[in-house]
Amino acid sequence: MNLRDLVILVADPSSYISMLIHGMLRGFGSNKILEVRNSNGVLQTLMGQKIDIMICDMHLPPHGGLSLTRAIRGKTDNEHRTMPILIMSSDSREATIKRARDAGANMVIAKPISPASLYDRLSWIAFNPRKFVDTASYFGPDRRFKIEGYPGGVGRRAGDKEVEIGAESGPALAQDDIDNLFSSVQTGQD
Amino acid sequence: MAKSKQPKSATKKPGPSVIAPPIADPGTAETPKSGKTKRASPTARVFPVDTRFQQLARRAGGVPRDKAIERAQMAMEDVKPAYEEFLGREVTGLAELVKNVEAGHDEPGWLETATFRARQLRDSAGPLGYELITFVAASLCELLDSIEAGSECNMESIVCHVDALMLARQKSYRGLRPEQVPELTKGLQRVVKHVTI
Repeated sequence: MNLRDLVILVADPSSYISMLIHGMLRGFGSNKILEVRNSNGVLQTLMGQKIDIMICDMHLPPHGGLSLTRAIRGKTDNEHRTMPILIMSSDSREATIKRARDAGANMVIAKPISPASLYDRLSWIAFNPRKFVDTASYFGPDRRFKIEGYPGGVGRRAGDKEVEIGAESGPALAQDDIDNLFSSVQTGQD
Repeated sequence: MAKSKQPKSATKKPGPSVIAPPIADPGTAETPKSGKTKRASPTARVFPVDTRFQQLARRAGGVPRDKAIERAQMAMEDVKPAYEEFLGREVTGLAELVKNVEAGHDEPGWLETATFRARQLRDSAGPLGYELITFVAASLCELLDSIEAGSECNMESIVCHVDALMLARQKSYRGLRPEQVPELTKGLQRVVKHVTI
């Protein structure tokens, strides 16, 4: 994955967490990283320049990352309408992940974020582009998609080729379950 | 003469759209008695999108995954010294806030501030390897979230977590994993369970 010259917007209320993500992205080869602390900062940045991908916290003040995602996806005369959006969330309950998916997020990454999980999610978005769906009530990446292993065969489970939906066993989901939930509509389990 | 291949434009409008079978929207779809999901809209436009991110990220010459992760971890090592300072500042700030609230001082929005600080600690300590701090901060987040959701605000249980954070930030505890201090972790779990039920 080549992140050079791509403009990445990191939207997180915490300057320290932004700094960590900034460090990870620099390690991945990114050289154009912007940081904002709230939704107003995001909207101002989007008005001023072209952003290639946004990594946004679920609790971004004042109204949260999902409201912001819905606003970006919903505004028709908006050049960022199809911009990839990766939502960071420490709340990995199934209902929360579904809300993110239905708001139009491309993916959800569980906090605390590790370099490997961030790299894999970015890689997934880059190498597995999804069609967009435009209906009266939804605009965003097609929620019906199938995960067929990590891009280029990399990732935590080298032999991961089938979609496996785990039984609900607790209030929080692991990153694999979050990813699978994004694909569950395809398998008829949603 | 063969046509030269045009580069894909980053700002081009969505490509050929197709009228796809109806897609039910979980937010609006109705479920009739038959159990089958009723379609939300008669048609949906489905179109391919190849963003500039996707086009450029697929270029050759990128950093291989293993190397990228190694470099990211090195970059995080670079910020570790600053983290020690951040950690001290956040834990002390949290302790002062809780002390003021406990003493009855007016602290408007203290719950939001405490939750923000606890979330910061939980989400930043993990990637840097401070597992015990992550554990205690996560437990405090659970407690504060339950208060936000309507549980009784038990200040003693919050103070107990702040004390645990003060302990966990000390050099002798900082590198420990939660399972290495079972008395501490089980105690916090009991407190949270007792307060949030």
